[in-house]
Amino acid sequence: MKYLLSARVGVCLLAALLLLFPLVFSDPFYQDIAVAFTLAAISASAWNIVGGYAGQVSVGHSMFFGLGAYAPLLFYTLFGWPPLVGIPIGILLSIALAGLIGLPTLRLSGHYFSMATIAVAELIRIFFGTWALVGGAIGLQGPAVARGWWDLTFRSDLPYYYIFLAVLGLLLFVTYEVQRRRFGYYLRAIKASERAARSLGVPVRLTKLKALALSATFTSAAGSLYAIKTGFIDPDSGFGILVSVQMLIVAALGGAGTLFGPLVGALILVPLQTAANTWFGGSGSGLTFILYGGIIVLIARFEPGGLFDFWRRLSPLIRRRVHAA
Amino acid sequence: MLLEAQNVAKAFGNFWAVGGADLAVAEGEIVGLIGPNGAGKSTFFNCLAGDTLPTSGRILFNGVDVTHASSEAHARLGIGRTFQVPTTFEDMSVLDNVMVGAFLRHPHRNDAREHARRIVEMSGLRPDQPGRSLGTPGRKRLGIARVLATEPRLLLLDESLAGLTPGELREAIALVRRIHESGVTIVIVEHIMEVIMTLTRRVLVFNQGRVIASGTPEQVVRDAAVIEAYLGRGAQRHSRERKNL
Repeated sequence: MKYLLSARVGVCLLAALLLLFPLVFSDPFYQDIAVAFTLAAISASAWNIVGGYAGQVSVGHSMFFGLGAYAPLLFYTLFGWPPLVGIPIGILLSIALAGLIGLPTLRLSGHYFSMATIAVAELIRIFFGTWALVGGAIGLQGPAVARGWWDLTFRSDLPYYYIFLAVLGLLLFVTYEVQRRRFGYYLRAIKASERAARSLGVPVRLTKLKALALSATFTSAAGSLYAIKTGFIDPDSGFGILVSVQMLIVAALGGAGTLFGPLVGALILVPLQTAANTWFGGSGSGLTFILYGGIIVLIARFEPGGLFDFWRRLSPLIRRRVHAA
Repeated sequence: MLLEAQNVAKAFGNFWAVGGADLAVAEGEIVGLIGPNGAGKSTFFNCLAGDTLPTSGRILFNGVDVTHASSEAHARLGIGRTFQVPTTFEDMSVLDNVMVGAFLRHPHRNDAREHARRIVEMSGLRPDQPGRSLGTPGRKRLGIARVLATEPRLLLLDESLAGLTPGELREAIALVRRIHESGVTIVIVEHIMEVIMTLTRRVLVFNQGRVIASGTPEQVVRDAAVIEAYLGRGAQRHSRERKNL
């Protein structure tokens, strides 16, 4: 009961902090970081459903992010539709793609699944780079000037921040519900041992497929939000491997398979990335790779469970110390 | 018959791990499968559990052909199994582990939790204990509790009592007996003769992929083919000579 109460207080504090942050720090620089944080948190939390809870480490989630990113701008370019309309279309396409690639690839496990997802994402990236309809290597652009609010083209970062935050809130609520229900228990059982889960009547393939579809839904939404905010998308920023790796690292750094792990990861990685870009400017564009590589090494060597797991082990020790004092 | 295996065979390449085995288990029985290492009993057991597809033969459960059914389908039909090496869901508590099994017949969380709690209590485990902190006896118990939560009609126990101390073994035997008394039919693969002699009324002995003897535990331990399979050719004559000295 005491734990539940403190967890609720913690969640309320976090919500208040996130809601008030851009109002307190009104400088556009900080607001830009805040938007980047929410976007990274959405992408990583979406990845977390299949990569963290179900343990199916996808390194090709950019395929859903890219589809979601291209859909709003493509329908705007082709028919002049508001980018908003493209979001559900991107989601539907991503779910279809999840089904299409999930059926053969989810039979694989471990590294083989990861490699298959990289291959599919890379194939799509190369294909989009040569497809004239989607702008080839140049990509697509969104509306330069808003025709109305439905174009979601704002001068300030503030409206984007709150829209992104609402999507993040929805995703966290969905994830919370997932982990409480049978579906969530099944995902964790599959992660631990597919064979044992199967012997208890868990429909392993169907459960993994559902997880991939749910994850694809929110990853696609993240892609759409990114493209609408940026007003531009090309094959590399949509389907590039760095997009997938970032989702994975943010989730793993905070704690894959935990509700708030991806948030913690984004809270650390996004400011770190911004700082690196600010300090080193254009000459530091390759620094992101070094940063990601370094983080992968550190997590794998010292904290495979991420910072959330580290805190979970540390907090009882601190509590004991405090009590003893 | 609740379970019937007819001429079940399994080949891995040119090697026949099981070369045509029959088994018939009536509802309410406890049947033991024994045999030396590499005799093929685990492969046969995996065929019964739907984990391994037999190369030939048929397996019927309650009259339904389950030869090609998946292990998920086996669980749904009421065939539960444990594993020789316990496969605990490490990051979950004991109760959550058992809830995974309970969800099969109780899709709603609260119902599954209640059902799982009853089973955890019966198996003598602590519900809030993390799976990763359990020792071998606890893991074995959890394996049994988890499969019991699926409410099986037939329970396949794969060396679930191996590696226990004499005290733990007695408790585990009592647990299996309680499960049997609750109406569950049991097929048990075991190396420990104490378990076989105490729990079963009928035993099948495997050697080189075939059933070489069957009968009551007392009958099979005196069977010449069984003694030869375990101790080698001439063992019976040797033991008779030693007795005469």
